Amino acid sequence: MLRDGPPTKACVQCGHLIDVSGKYCNNCGARQIVGENRTLESNWLLLKQSALFYGIYIFVCAMGKFVDVFNTLSWELFMDGVLCATAVVFFCFNWNTNKKLFRWPNFSIQKLAAYLAVAVAGAFVVHYLVGWLNIAIFSKDEHYFSFAKGHLLASFIVVFYMAVVPAIFEEIGFRGYLLGNLLEIADVRQAVFVSAFLFGIIHLSLFSLFWLIPFALIIGYARIREGTLWYGICFHFCFNLMACLFELL
Amino acid sequence: METSALPSAQPTERCNSCYKDVSAEDAFCQNCGYPLKGTAQEQSNFRVQKDFRDIDHFEFNAEVRKAANSLYYLSAIFVISGLIVYVTNKDSEDAVVTLILNLVLAMIFLALGGYARKKPLACIISGLALYAIVVVLNAIIDPVTIIKGLIMKIIIVGFLIKGLKAALEIEKMKKENQLL
Repeated sequence: MLRDGPPTKACVQCGHLIDVSGKYCNNCGARQIVGENRTLESNWLLLKQSALFYGIYIFVCAMGKFVDVFNTLSWELFMDGVLCATAVVFFCFNWNTNKKLFRWPNFSIQKLAAYLAVAVAGAFVVHYLVGWLNIAIFSKDEHYFSFAKGHLLASFIVVFYMAVVPAIFEEIGFRGYLLGNLLEIADVRQAVFVSAFLFGIIHLSLFSLFWLIPFALIIGYARIREGTLWYGICFHFCFNLMACLFELL
Repeated sequence: METSALPSAQPTERCNSCYKDVSAEDAFCQNCGYPLKGTAQEQSNFRVQKDFRDIDHFEFNAEVRKAANSLYYLSAIFVISGLIVYVTNKDSEDAVVTLILNLVLAMIFLALGGYARKKPLACIISGLALYAIVVVLNAIIDPVTIIKGLIMKIIIVGFLIKGLKAALEIEKMKKENQLL
């Protein structure tokens, strides 16, 4: 098909055909804004809402990790329950816009396999680097799940608790709710970076940042590219599962 | 596709406001919206509004600079306090770990401050969140730290929040101008 001249679009106000890259109509002068035009107040409100979400996370994580009273298994389960509930409540607050993230358009087994392969490779790299770092910096080698070693049922519980639950609820909270909010107010790169950075520092371990941030960046971009949370959830699950297996086997 | 409604795209002159090429048929500049065929009054109104926007932009950038300076300041605080703790508790086993932690935090704040001019919103949010976590953790480990340097903390957070609002404005302007 023959086309003369550059591609065009219709002006939002008068319908005059204008250059596709034009920011204003050359006929009526109307500004060609793509997407909805948000006000500053609504952006600020979104940011405050996100701050509340993140504040709850900071508070609960910090209490759970650094207050001895909460250092029991039952308290830890309760804390995780609070975090999961927070993620779900905030996510469902904008259910109508967020629900589309649970769809899985263009499901592709090759893509999924590629993401999982990256997750496995990443888990290997991180495992050996973390082992090396822990030994190099703190001269100690920590094993969290040594109690579950050799017990099949305990292993399943650990896998469920460490791999399934975080994969689903952290993705809903950070890639679903938080990243969605940030995308409303900033460009894609800044939004993905902020969600990754906040995700990294909430783990309250400065030395894990070097792999947590790239990890979150990959999932953040996967969520933007594919328009669904599922690849991220699978990636996250696979990564955590590998980490559990390293500890248990 | 029907394209005959489009004027022949031979640029014959430049916009008086943004100096991009425009064609003789254009009533408005496609890049900045300048009324090329408007009355002198309309053209001068356009210029005044553009000046206002430029002044706003300038002021928002000033706020962002202050927030970036607060991040640098935080970086310096972490270096100094890390060194003080290290020198006073040299014999303690945790002294080196505390020093390394402080230096890593200082480096992160330094990087955020340095990058804040390019990506203000991302850097200021990240800086605020990291600072909030440090304050909360310190408060849990030793509640007295909340009161230590309280005024300084309020000033720093104040600058960061003002910077955050300015960054939001800049981001909104960018989105409207589609400079993504």
